[in-house]
Amino acid sequence: MTQKSIEVVEVRSESDIVSARVSAKAMAEILGFGYMDQTRIATAVSELARNAFHFAGEGKVTIQPADREGRKGIEIVVEDHGPGIENLELALKGGYSTSGGLGFGLSGSEKLMDEFDVKTKIGKGTTVTIRKWL
Amino acid sequence: MSKQNVKELTEELSALLERNADDIRLQWVKEMQQTGLLSSLSPREIDEQSRAIYDACVLCLKSGSYEGAERYAANMARKGVLEAMTVDQIIAGLLILRDVYGRFIFEWYKKNPTKCNAILTIYEPVARKILNIVALAFVAEREATIKEQQKVLAFSTPIVEVGEGIVALPLVGTLDSARAKQVTEAILEYIAKAQTDVVLVDISGIAAIDTKTANYIIRAMQAVKLMGSDVVITGIRPDVASTLVTIGIDLTGIVTRSTVREGLVYANEKLGRKITSVSAS
Amino acid sequence: MIISPQVTLHDKLAIKFKDEILQRIVETKAKGLILDISEIDIVDSFLVRQIGEIATAANIMGAQVVVVGLRAEVAMTLVEMGFSLRGVYIARDLERGLEILRKAGKR
Repeated sequence: MTQKSIEVVEVRSESDIVSARVSAKAMAEILGFGYMDQTRIATAVSELARNAFHFAGEGKVTIQPADREGRKGIEIVVEDHGPGIENLELALKGGYSTSGGLGFGLSGSEKLMDEFDVKTKIGKGTTVTIRKWL
Repeated sequence: MSKQNVKELTEELSALLERNADDIRLQWVKEMQQTGLLSSLSPREIDEQSRAIYDACVLCLKSGSYEGAERYAANMARKGVLEAMTVDQIIAGLLILRDVYGRFIFEWYKKNPTKCNAILTIYEPVARKILNIVALAFVAEREATIKEQQKVLAFSTPIVEVGEGIVALPLVGTLDSARAKQVTEAILEYIAKAQTDVVLVDISGIAAIDTKTANYIIRAMQAVKLMGSDVVITGIRPDVASTLVTIGIDLTGIVTRSTVREGLVYANEKLGRKITSVSAS
Repeated sequence: MIISPQVTLHDKLAIKFKDEILQRIVETKAKGLILDISEIDIVDSFLVRQIGEIATAANIMGAQVVVVGLRAEVAMTLVEMGFSLRGVYIARDLERGLEILRKAGKR
């Protein structure tokens, strides 16, 4: 994979979800994350990209290196212009249902990442920003 | 003070410190020797390094660029230079230099208090910044070393084979999140590669553990089970047991035994093996 | 019956996959299914759900499902997200998996 500093994946179909997580995993590897963290990052991206696709029909995944006062890591922003999340608190609680399914992706990805930020507006869309540090 | 003024005074001070380099430097060395700081260095080393440091400081003052100081400091921290001295000795030496410079400036300009003040105002920030650079270089080096050590720790997670397909993982001391993460990845990596039927996690040596780490360990054990190996926790002391209950750790589905030996018995039974003798280990 | 997905399964493919598996169980009247996921490097909630559905349906049809080859990093991620695989047996490798099915069949 060529050394790009920003990777953007437009999610318009199911296979784009896979592209997004593969790109995230690749960037994570380049940045020096171990394979455990690579998997966590890729899985979180997969969940968020799927949420965008299923609830909004589209989404944009932006993957880039993060740098904060010398600390290095990865930052991924998943944004969509969908209906927004009605009950954010509930969505984040997720529930410990074992069969997965939509709606648990949000809480799942929060647990996998170091930083997790959700901005949502009913009728306008949702933007989730996640970060993991080396 | 006008910019012109600052420039002129800086030039004047630099020239002054350069002209009197030998005197000031030797005074500095003398004072350091008096406090025993240089006892581990050879005369040649003292001469070379004191010159290098002195010149680097004056250069910072003159040019306004601290690159030279940063490079030198990084070298010191990495033990390329002044290896024989400890961190506090190096810092003490630099503090003496700062005072020697200051004292010299004061002596030189004492007949003109206004000018003395102006010169000191230019000198002090430079001295402070240089010391800051040196201190930070040591901190950065220390952090880099700790990171390296942690990597080494990862390789030294003790996984002991105690039977065919049975391994023991003794956890000792105080477990923090970072260590828990290392240990977890090590054991998961191990069972991914080696045919492991049962993992005996012995916690009898754990001194202290916090809720977050305890949860991490439990999750790690669940991950081990997901990979198809069985997990037995051994060595739960009564006080640890009550702590686990108090903080609400869910141990359902995880087998526990009080000693590694009992854990081994359980493992063998589960694997359908009969053990004829159990040697004292 | 042993299934070993080698390609990257995106959502539509995963569902198609699941349907095919269940169809085959019916056709072959298989009593056991071994799902070898050692080639899958990322398992997210969707896939977990599909596996769960395969298990439930298979169980109804009288077949036991054994999942084999869960990778270390996948196991860790699933546990961290709070998911678990219910309704399936877990085995370390094919051999153990077959053993489990044998034992399960005897009941």
